[in-house]
Amino acid sequence: MEGHQRNLYLYDRFNARVLGVSRDDTLTLKYWGQGLDLTFPLLSNITGFLGAYFGTLKDNQFVFARRTVVIDKTGVIRYARDGSPDFKDILLFLKKLNQEGGKS
Amino acid sequence: MKKNILIPLLLMLAIGIVLSGCATTQSQADKPKPYRMTPQGTVIWEDEFEFLPPPPDWKLLRVEEQGDINFGFMRNDPGGFPSVTTFAYDEEPFGCTTRFEDREKEFFKRFLFNAIVQFQVLEKKPVQVAGGEGLAVTVEGKDPVKREKVRAKVVFGKRGDRVVGWYITQWRPMDAAYDLSVFEIFDKFVNSFKFLKPSFYQTL
Repeated sequence: MEGHQRNLYLYDRFNARVLGVSRDDTLTLKYWGQGLDLTFPLLSNITGFLGAYFGTLKDNQFVFARRTVVIDKTGVIRYARDGSPDFKDILLFLKKLNQEGGKS
Repeated sequence: MKKNILIPLLLMLAIGIVLSGCATTQSQADKPKPYRMTPQGTVIWEDEFEFLPPPPDWKLLRVEEQGDINFGFMRNDPGGFPSVTTFAYDEEPFGCTTRFEDREKEFFKRFLFNAIVQFQVLEKKPVQVAGGEGLAVTVEGKDPVKREKVRAKVVFGKRGDRVVGWYITQWRPMDAAYDLSVFEIFDKFVNSFKFLKPSFYQTL
């Protein structure tokens, strides 16, 4: 999450916005976000339907598996990677996506 | 002209909230050396940095985290546990902001967080580092339960828009003296540091 916070100026450059989602309650997310000085939204999804939608409910675990997803302006998932985010890979992808958007 | 706005959303579905990207060490056995020496005695690291290394009795440390470059050196010092000195260059020091004063506060929230020490700032001053403005902060932390103490110096600098860091930590038993001459080796390392090419982030 801290890596995403560092990259916000680059996400802005590529017309991207970042959101975090977990199954934690809003109060937990509020203090956790404050602890890391995060300024982007963290979404609480206690019921877990977003995890089901994005395929991150694994092996009947309550918590979401870690996954990074990029959704384009038409709502199409264009990028999905499991595990810790590869920030350089994400930035290169967003740059490419932004260039595609600029041409259309 | 109307700007064609593309708004991709990044959704990060986290495992709870406690996984915050811990660095992991990797075996270097099957990798070529990332550095070469110059006739002037400096090290060229992956054609990206040049610096004056410490004397040969220091061990090289290398940590890779998501492709970012972090490396440093360590030495076991004379004396009882935990007499050790470590210094490093860090491409992504703790914290997010690009203002040194704010970054310092963010950084020390998490620096040596496993040790649970309270830091006291001994000195804070602006410096020149890697061809630009920087901030050097010297601190001391004490753990009265374990009877250990640490003296650290952190230098914040800029590489493009982003803050990078150099830091040294020297651990000692509570009643042992620090070896401040080692901080001079660190200062030479920092003062000799040059960026030989733009970072990944500068090329975007």
